[in-house]
Amino acid sequence: MATTDASITINSDITGTPIAITASMKLKKFQSNVGIEETTGLRSKKFTATTAVEIVANTEGTTGKASKVYIRNTGDDPAQFFYVALNNNAAAADTTETIGKLYGGPAGTGDWMLMPWAATTATTHDIVVAPSTTNLMTLEYMVFQE
Amino acid sequence: MATTTAVLDISSEDLQPGSPLSISATTTLYQTGLTTGLELVDYGAGRLTEASAGDALAEALGTADTSNYVFLCNKSTNIEHYIKVGIHDTLVGHLGSEEWLFIPWNMGDADAEINIEAEDSGTIPYEYAIFKSTFTLPAKT
Repeated sequence: MATTDASITINSDITGTPIAITASMKLKKFQSNVGIEETTGLRSKKFTATTAVEIVANTEGTTGKASKVYIRNTGDDPAQFFYVALNNNAAAADTTETIGKLYGGPAGTGDWMLMPWAATTATTHDIVVAPSTTNLMTLEYMVFQE
Repeated sequence: MATTTAVLDISSEDLQPGSPLSISATTTLYQTGLTTGLELVDYGAGRLTEASAGDALAEALGTADTSNYVFLCNKSTNIEHYIKVGIHDTLVGHLGSEEWLFIPWNMGDADAEINIEAEDSGTIPYEYAIFKSTFTLPAKT
């Protein structure tokens, strides 16, 4: 059994009482305390068009099993972003399948996300991204799966 | 201007035999396309029961296509308990016991609420925080 740990720390002074959220988890198999044992490995991909591109196919996961997906915009420009979506409609901001946008950030502080993924056997569960610009943009991502 | 940072660490000594995994990432949560920090937040805790079917953790009441971020944690220690997380009619994934997620959320359209639903039987406590660019209160009834 492999052991994979993930932790998050969020600090904010939005409110008068500072917000400090910390959480840790082990990446586990579905309804189990056993750690997940497979991964795609860390991938990096460059983009130079705004066309929506599938980065994780539904066939890479298994229905009913646990999967987690990590994605990060490695760019430095806070005005440039990737739409992240399920299905293949990422380029449309108003699609209901769009999850959100990962912006770049100065000195490597671009947005990241870590989410569970239901790898249902259907193209509706492909993970798709669409860059906001034709400038060179880079994404890194990794899938953890049972 | 408020400052909100989110730091991620992922590590494993044995997921990739012979190649320990170590990912660290830090982001500052900015307003849409700017370097001005977000200034709106909604956070708290709740309990989900299977009988309640799907509930909206957050309705898409702000401005569409903006920067927003969602943290959600399943606080149950019962491994049978998981939360189905979806956006509108699309299932995103299953958040197992003691697991958390952090995702961007752009409220793509008025229907793009974030849904959560408890599975299996029992009550699942959860905690959440939503950092927002814009926010509109629900209409009075």
